[in-house]
Order: sequence, then C-alpha cells, then structure tokens
Amino acid sequence: MVVSGALMGLVYALIAYGFQLTFATSKSINFGQGELVMLSAFFSLSLLDWGVPYWLMVPGGLLFGVALGLVVERACVRLSLEQKNEGWILLSIIFGLLGFSVAENIWGRDDRPFPTPISTEPMQFFGVRITPLEISVAIGVLAVMGLIELFKRKTLLGKAFEAVSADRDAAELMGISATHTIMLSYGLSGMVAAMAGILISPITTVGPTMASALILKAFAVAVVAGLDSGFGVVLVGIFLGALESLTSFYLGSGWREAPGLILLILALAVRPNGVFGKASIRKV
Amino acid sequence: MLIVDDIHAGYGSSEVLQGTSLEVQQGKVVALIGANGAGKTTTMRAISGMLTPTHGRVLLNGKPVQGYATSRIARLGLAHSPEGRKVFGPLSVEDNLLLGAFNHLPMFFGFRSMAATELEKVYELFPRLRERREQSAGTLSGGEQQMLAIGRALMAKPKVILLDEPSMGLAPVIVQEVFRIIRRLKEAGTTLLLVEQFAKSALEVADYAYVMEHGRIAVAGTPAELHKDERVLAAYLG
Amino acid sequence: MLKRLLFIRGAELLALAILATIPLTVDNSYALGLLTLLAIYGILLIGLDVTVGYLGQINLAHAAFLGLGAYAAGLSVSLLGFGMLAALAVSMIIGLILGGLLAFPALRLEGPQFALATLSFSALSVIVLNEWESLTQGAQGLSIDRPHFLGMSLDAQGFYWLCLLMLILVWIAMRNLLSSQWGRAFEALRDSPIATDAMGVGTYRHKVAGFAFGSSLGGLAGGLYAFNFQYLQPQGFTYDLMVILLLGVVLGGRKSLWGAFFGATLIVLLPNLLSNWMLFEIISALGFAAALAAAIVGWKKNSKVTFQAAAPVIAMGILVVGGFMVENTESWRKAIFALMLFAVVVGLPDGIMGFAARYLTRLFNIDPPALPKASALDAVLPLQFPNEKPLLILKNLKRYFGGVKAVDDLSMSVLSGQIHGLIGPNGSGKSTAVNVISGLYAPTSGDILLQGKSLPQGSLFKVARTGVARTFQNLQLFAELSALENVMLALKGVYRTPLPLVLLGFARAEEKRAQANALALLELVGLQDQARVHAKDLTYGSQRFLEIARALARKPKLLILDEPAAGLAHPDVNHLVQIINRVNQRGMTIILIEHHMDVVSSLCHRVTVLDGGHKIAEGTAEEIKRDPLVIKAYLGIADDSPASAATA
Repeated sequence: MVVSGALMGLVYALIAYGFQLTFATSKSINFGQGELVMLSAFFSLSLLDWGVPYWLMVPGGLLFGVALGLVVERACVRLSLEQKNEGWILLSIIFGLLGFSVAENIWGRDDRPFPTPISTEPMQFFGVRITPLEISVAIGVLAVMGLIELFKRKTLLGKAFEAVSADRDAAELMGISATHTIMLSYGLSGMVAAMAGILISPITTVGPTMASALILKAFAVAVVAGLDSGFGVVLVGIFLGALESLTSFYLGSGWREAPGLILLILALAVRPNGVFGKASIRKV
Repeated sequence: MLIVDDIHAGYGSSEVLQGTSLEVQQGKVVALIGANGAGKTTTMRAISGMLTPTHGRVLLNGKPVQGYATSRIARLGLAHSPEGRKVFGPLSVEDNLLLGAFNHLPMFFGFRSMAATELEKVYELFPRLRERREQSAGTLSGGEQQMLAIGRALMAKPKVILLDEPSMGLAPVIVQEVFRIIRRLKEAGTTLLLVEQFAKSALEVADYAYVMEHGRIAVAGTPAELHKDERVLAAYLG
Repeated sequence: MLKRLLFIRGAELLALAILATIPLTVDNSYALGLLTLLAIYGILLIGLDVTVGYLGQINLAHAAFLGLGAYAAGLSVSLLGFGMLAALAVSMIIGLILGGLLAFPALRLEGPQFALATLSFSALSVIVLNEWESLTQGAQGLSIDRPHFLGMSLDAQGFYWLCLLMLILVWIAMRNLLSSQWGRAFEALRDSPIATDAMGVGTYRHKVAGFAFGSSLGGLAGGLYAFNFQYLQPQGFTYDLMVILLLGVVLGGRKSLWGAFFGATLIVLLPNLLSNWMLFEIISALGFAAALAAAIVGWKKNSKVTFQAAAPVIAMGILVVGGFMVENTESWRKAIFALMLFAVVVGLPDGIMGFAARYLTRLFNIDPPALPKASALDAVLPLQFPNEKPLLILKNLKRYFGGVKAVDDLSMSVLSGQIHGLIGPNGSGKSTAVNVISGLYAPTSGDILLQGKSLPQGSLFKVARTGVARTFQNLQLFAELSALENVMLALKGVYRTPLPLVLLGFARAEEKRAQANALALLELVGLQDQARVHAKDLTYGSQRFLEIARALARKPKLLILDEPAAGLAHPDVNHLVQIINRVNQRGMTIILIEHHMDVVSSLCHRVTVLDGGHKIAEGTAEEIKRDPLVIKAYLGIADDSPASAATA
C-alpha cells in the first residue's frame, strides 16, 4: 500500500516537474495545470472512444497537452511578463476555471473509467503487492523526465533553455529569443501534464474534480522540493505519496490531502526556497 | 556599419538619452567615454534593443533595427558584451561559448563539431578558458569571466561588437591584458564600439572617439584631436 | 476645502442615505436579502483588497477566513451561548490570529509562492471543517439560531442595519488606516521593498499586520454571514467562492474602498443576471461593444492591434456567440465568470473604479488640503557633536560572488563628524562595500562596528534601525508617493499611535507633525515647492536630492551617499555640494562614494581608494592624488611590463 502510494507520488512529481520547467524560463507557473491534466485525460479518453488505438492515443493526447500549454502561455502569461506584473497568477486561475466548466459541460460531471491494455493483476515482488499498471506509471514518469533532462543537457536548444533561466537578458544578446524559449517551456509543461493525465487516469478514473485534487499535491511537491531543484521533486513526490496513503489508512480518506498541505506550509516557513532549492540574491 | 541617429531613451519617466548620435565604420574601433551616469551604458542598451528608444533610428549595416527584439538584432549580426559581463553562471565555460554561436549552429545535434574551428580560435586567444572549459562559469574569477564574455561575443562572428566596460572590477594587470586583447581584435579587423572608464587607455586603441555628457554627445574626434581639446583633457584625461 | 468635502464625503453620505432608507420604502424580503449580502460582501472585499490591492499579493485564503469566521461565530453561539456582538468579536479574533499565523511564514515569500501558501491554507481549512465532525457536523452542515443583539432580537430589517453599520465602521477604519503612515507604507513596499526596509519601515512586519487585519475583516464578514444564513456547510467556502471574490475586487477596482463596494454589488447581482438569458445576452453584448470600441480607439492611436486590446473583444465575443449555442446559461456559470474576468483583467486592469477615477479626478480637480508650516530644522535633524573618534570600523570585510571577489579584506575606519570619501574605478567594490555595511548583502566574512558595537548583518531593516541611512546609486524612490510622503515615510520617532487607535482616527495630530517635519527636510534640499509632486514626476536632479532628504529623515548617525552626483548637470552638482556641506556642518558623519574628483576634493576630509576589492590608499584628497598606486589604478595602464602575477 505504501509502495503504490509512492508510485502515485511519482505522478505528482511529474506535474511538479512541469511547474519547474516554466518557472525556470519565466518565473511563472500555471495555476490551471490541474485542469490541463484533466482536459488532456478527457481528450485522450474521447480519442479511445472514437476508436483510435491506445498507442496512437498517447501521442495524440500529448499533442493536445502541448497545444493547451501554448494557449496558456499566449493568453495568460506573455502579457503580464511583458508588463512585469503578476497578472499571470490570476489569469491562469481564470483559465483553469474555464477549463473546468468546459469539461463539466462537454464530458459531464461524473467520474469515468479509463481503459488500459496493461494488466491490473497484482504481483508479488519481495513480499510487496504491486500491479504492472503501477509499474508502468513509474516507468512512464521517469522516462518523460529523463528524456527532457537529456534534451536540456545534450542539445543546443536545451542549453539555450538553461541560458534563459540563468540570465534572460544575456540569452537575448546571444540571439536566443526568450519569448520562444518560454513558449517551448509551456509546451513541454503541457505535454508533461498530459502524460501525467494519461498515466494516472487508469488508476483513479477521469473526472472534472481530479484537477483540484492533483494540483494541490503537485504544488506541495514543487514547493517542498524547491521550484528550481531538478530531481528533488522525485524524492519529495515519492515521500508525499507514501505519507498520503498512510494518512488515509490511519485517519480516514477525508484527511488524505492534509499532509501535503501541511508539508507545503511548513516547508515555506522553514525553507522558503525548498529543501533542494537555492537562495536568491536581491539586487538594487 | 552601425549608425545611431538622434535616439532618445530612458527608464520610466526619466529620459537618459536626449538625442544621441554616433557612427561606427567597418573595421574601426570607436570609443565612447564620459562620466558615470552620462548615458554610455544606456546608449549600448538602446542599440542592442535591451531598451527600446522612444525616438530616433539605429541602423545596422544600413537596415533600421530600432524597436526590434534584442534576440532579433543579435541575429542580424550585433554582439553585445554587456556591463557586468553576465555570463551564464551555472553553465560550463564551453557551453557559454557554444551559446555565443547559437545563431549559426544546428539546434539539436552536431553543433559541437560545427563550432570546433571557432571554439579553437577563441581558446587560442584565451588559453585560460581552455583550461577551464568544464568548469561552471560562475566560479571563474572576474578577469576570466570578462575573457569569457568577450569570447562568447566573438563566437557569434558578428558584424559589430559592443564592449561595455570590459575593465570593470578588474585588477590593473588584468585590465592591461584586456586592452592587449582589444588591440589584437583591432588588428584582425573587428568592428568595435567600446565603452570605457579608462579614457586614456581607450583612446590609445581607438580610431575615433565620442565624449558623452548628460545623455548627449558633447565632443567627437580622433584621439589626437581630443588630446588637443582642453576641456576633455581636464575632465577625462587628467 | 468645501469642494473636497462636497464631492468625496458627499458621495459617501449619499450612498449611505440610499442604502439605509431602501428597506423603509421597499417592502420586499428578497431585495432586503440582497442588500444584507451586499453589506457583508462589502466588508469581505475591503478585507481582501488589503492584500490583493494594497499589498499587491494574490491572496487565495480569503474565502477560508470567511468560513472560519462563520464557524467561529456559529459555534460560539451554539456551544458557548454568546450574544451577537461577542460572537462577532470571536470571529474577528479568529481571523486575526489565523491570519497572523499564516502570514508569518507566507509573507516571507513573493508572488506565486505566496499564492500557493494561501491556496493550501484554504484547502486545509475546508478539510478540517469537513472532517472535524464532532465540532462542525462536517458535510451535514451546522444550523445556527440568530442570537440577541444587546438583548434585542433582530428581524431581517434590523439585521440588515447592523450589517450596514458594520460596513460603515469598517469603511471609516480603513480610511483612517490608509491616510496614516500605514497607508504610505503599503504604497512604499510595493514601489520599492528595498528602500522601504532601508528606511527602517519593516516591509515584512507591515505585510504581516496588513494581512492579519484583512483576514480579521474576513472573519467579521464570516460572522455576519453565519447569522444571515443561519446554516453553514464547508462546501460554501471553497476555491470557487475565492475566484468569485477575486472577480469582485478586480472588477470593482483594486486599492479603492469604492471599488470593493462596486465589486460586492456585482457579485451579489451577477447570479440573478445570469439566470435570465435575455439579460445575459444584453450584458455580454454591451461588454463586447465596449471592448470593441476600446480596441478601435487604441488601434487608431498607435495603429497596432495589441493583445491587450484584442483579447477582451475575443472573450466577450465568445460570450455573445456562446450564449446562442447553449440552452442553459446556468450550467456554464463558471465559464461565463472566467471569460468576463479574463476580459476585465486583461483589458481593464485597474477595474471599473480605477477607470472611473481617472476621469472623475480630471473632471473635478480637487485640491489637496493645505500644508502646515515647516518645523524648525533643529527639531527634525538635531545637531550632533562629533568627538573625533571612529564612528564606523570595518575589519577584514569580505564579500564574494561565486569566483568574483567584489570586496576582499577591507579594513577602514570613519571618524565621527567627517565626510569620508570612498573612490575607485568602476567595479572596484565601493558599492558592494556600502551594500554590505547597510545590510543589503551579508558579508562573506569580517566585522562591521558602529560606535564599537557590531552592526546586524544582512538585514537592511535592522541596520537602518541602528542609525545608518543611505541613498541608492540607481534611485529607489517611492514613485507613486509625493515628495513629501517619501520623506514622511522615513521619519523616525514621530509615529507612536498604536494600530487600534490609528483605525479609530487618533493619528491626525501626528500626521500634521510629520508633514511639518518632512517639509523642514524638503526645505533643506530646496524641494519645498514640489512637496506635492509625485516622486516619479520630479526632474532627475530633484530625485537625487529627495533621496538625501529621505535618508536624513531617519536622523541617522551615519549617512551613506552612493554616487549622488552621477548623471547630474553642473548647476545641480554645485547644489549637491552645498547640501552635503550643510548636512555635515550639523555634525553628520558621511560616507561619500563619488567619481567626480573635484567633488571629492572639495568635500572629503579623508578618502579611501579601492581597486579590485582591495584598499590601495587612504589619506587626504591631496595625498591621494599624488599616490602612484592610485594614479596607476585610475589610468588603467602605466607601463607595458610583462604581467608578472596575472591571476585575479
């Protein structure tokens, strides 16, 4: 049970990783990211309903996520970054609200099962009961994160991405367009959200309310680990997932979300830049 | 190669540049000197698009570029090594240099081999950078960071280079080293606009110089002419 | 004066008269319910505006404070048998305490992290209200009887008047708060948090107090809410309500009491407007027309279609078209809110009130009240009697940034009563040194002693409180405050009235004294005629002088001037020299960073020269000019001898 909790935690880590991507380039995050996960999951479900085979559905869902990420960047983020204010917080909340309402009206308010070709028969590993589905979640999460990290380190575009997060002005002077890099980060972040939706839906079912439940935990993971900490999110995600399943076992499922929230507030109180984060320098 | 025509620019309500004009011809080294706060750095920023001029024109190779995004001006062949160097601290020295050539290189793979000759040239000019190629740029000393910033600008194979205060915060020996490098760039035919606090040294390398005061060009001329100007002599070369 | 009273107070009184008499003329229980809700939401939004407007932070916890306040009031009636006033006091106190507790960690953060912290808090509150069933009855809901008010049992009309009375009290308290030092501090900390700290006005403590105060208003509104509906459910206080509250504040207009009131009106009326399809179409068509008109005006002005102009048109267009495509607007309620809010946030960021205020002030052109006579300078900037002993001592001070040694092993002492020049080429570490002294940066190692006592390290605020005041090389004025208010904000030892009394309006005498004192300092730097001018509209030179006046308001022991002459024209430089001389003649010790050698020679008793983070010379200006090391540093190159030790 703790192990499957920890595996769920990997999905939170994946969404949190999406926050890190956009935070690195633009110091902004999408408060409607949970709705992105949910909308992508619903869209993928519809693809399956229309008879698209599972293995084609996955890239389709990811593309949909990329598109949504780009919309968020254009509609919510770019203007307030140009004006150097924090309107994006409000605008991305608004976008989330819109997404929620659209999902509610198009796909209905009820939770729906998400079919998967992977078996849910539990197996025994060293005395731990675990399903192949849960293992596939872990593999999927680590594969996506690994691929993006590889991209950032090994390609010139990826290095440009890092350059923008290190110093936006200097990157512009090299001919690297900060605007395009931020778009790229939002596109990737949307893809990551869609991946999270496709991975987690077979376990939790799909419904409009999955958005708010997921995003709070992802926020907690991102803040506790630090918004600029790279792989710290994986450790924190696993920890939080395990902690959650223990809480809901001992205190009741209503309290399930409490540890993440308490952890988040505590982390902000003790280490505002996250457990793995770096302190920043004020400039005059 | 670079013409600045009557530009006005500033931050918020304060207008720092009040009609600055200057010209840099191909293959020439032009110095821009003046007191702190006169608007030298602001001029540089207005040229490279880090600051949008409210009025006036900037012509790069005959084409107007004012109002363009910084990255677009950079792609048109302007390399600006900014005040305070601004190297990418967390990235390695070599990555910093590769990013300097961002516009000429393929985005995904094979960029390292494409950049090999340029990289070699820069390493020849700055042997210390070759020694530290794997080190992250933030851990370099101030002098080494300045070399890296100049090297990064060279990697772009630009039409014009803007060097803003390359001597800033460096020990005297290193300042000499920096000026030696500027002289070598001049011999290689680089087009250069140089902002410098050490007016005397700047005039020694420059073909032509502008003196700025309160957001305008006060005096202009060849170094020899400026040396004859009583006022310039008293204020900046004393 | 009369005009001022007529327009500003007149509008308030008129609105009050209308609100108070409606129930007497219209006998309609539905309308009365809406009015009551309007008063409650008015209080709630004024509280929310403290954080969202005045502190400039996105606060997502306010709905939770409404809920917590409501439950606190309800439970103190049903469990403890409190009367209405006592119960309302409890709900306010709950808001205040929990708000404070949340603010302590959360307000150390900026922007997104703060929003996240408040979001978690509100989610946590709803969980607790839901799960603590023994106390709150959980999801079943809590029924409450409306308690007696001072022994009277209130009917719906009476309760409405009570809510209205509370709104008036809150309104007056807010007005008092905003016209005091607190209001200035709120404005200042958004303009320049660094300067706010450097002037000894703690950014952090003002934010915490402001947030706690706003939350207590949320709690109060919650108490009234509980007694209005007499039935509470945790689901009533979730994220959805929070978004609607934000809609109200933003739509009405941030940083405005009237804005909060308009916002509350809209929130109360909106559900009714949406339930009628015809009405909904008319409203969205009007919105579409307004957005389109604005876009066309903007397009004619600069012949460019900006996103800011186009986006609201698109959003409202979707509303108009969408209205025809769906049968039931009610089920799309959230999407409609979202699109409206989107259009407003992008197209009208100052809200309706901000938009209207721009035209109203132009229309009426109300004069500000007259200023008092300036205080005597001796009272504002007392004479100090220097004793020739070192005032400030630096011992082996170091500050590194990664591999760059900005200040490396600097030791020096500044004698009291002297002007001590700090010079050196650009980047030699002068600014970093004063940034470390004034607490902006913590030193990597080394000691700083002021009058023999160690200065606090790495806190602008704490250093400012020990008697060090500074100006900034890149001006850090409070752009939206007037010259007078910039100085008033920094005044030391004037503001003694505690917050509760400020709210009750007992800070007026103190305000007059502060104005008089600030005027004296403006006279000292020659800005008395520009007292009412916004700092951002002053000329560059005047801005520099204003920074000096503001620093002097701290009555400092040590004044640090960081390149005060940079960018000044010659007449201004002469004026600056006069000011510095005058200040120094009053016994003030000054550290002066400067590039103009003539300024340094004419002012400084002693000069320290830095190069590459090291001290390379110290002495009188004449001695320094002859020092070969200094000449070499300033000219960059002496001889072309081989670089013997080419390591930096």
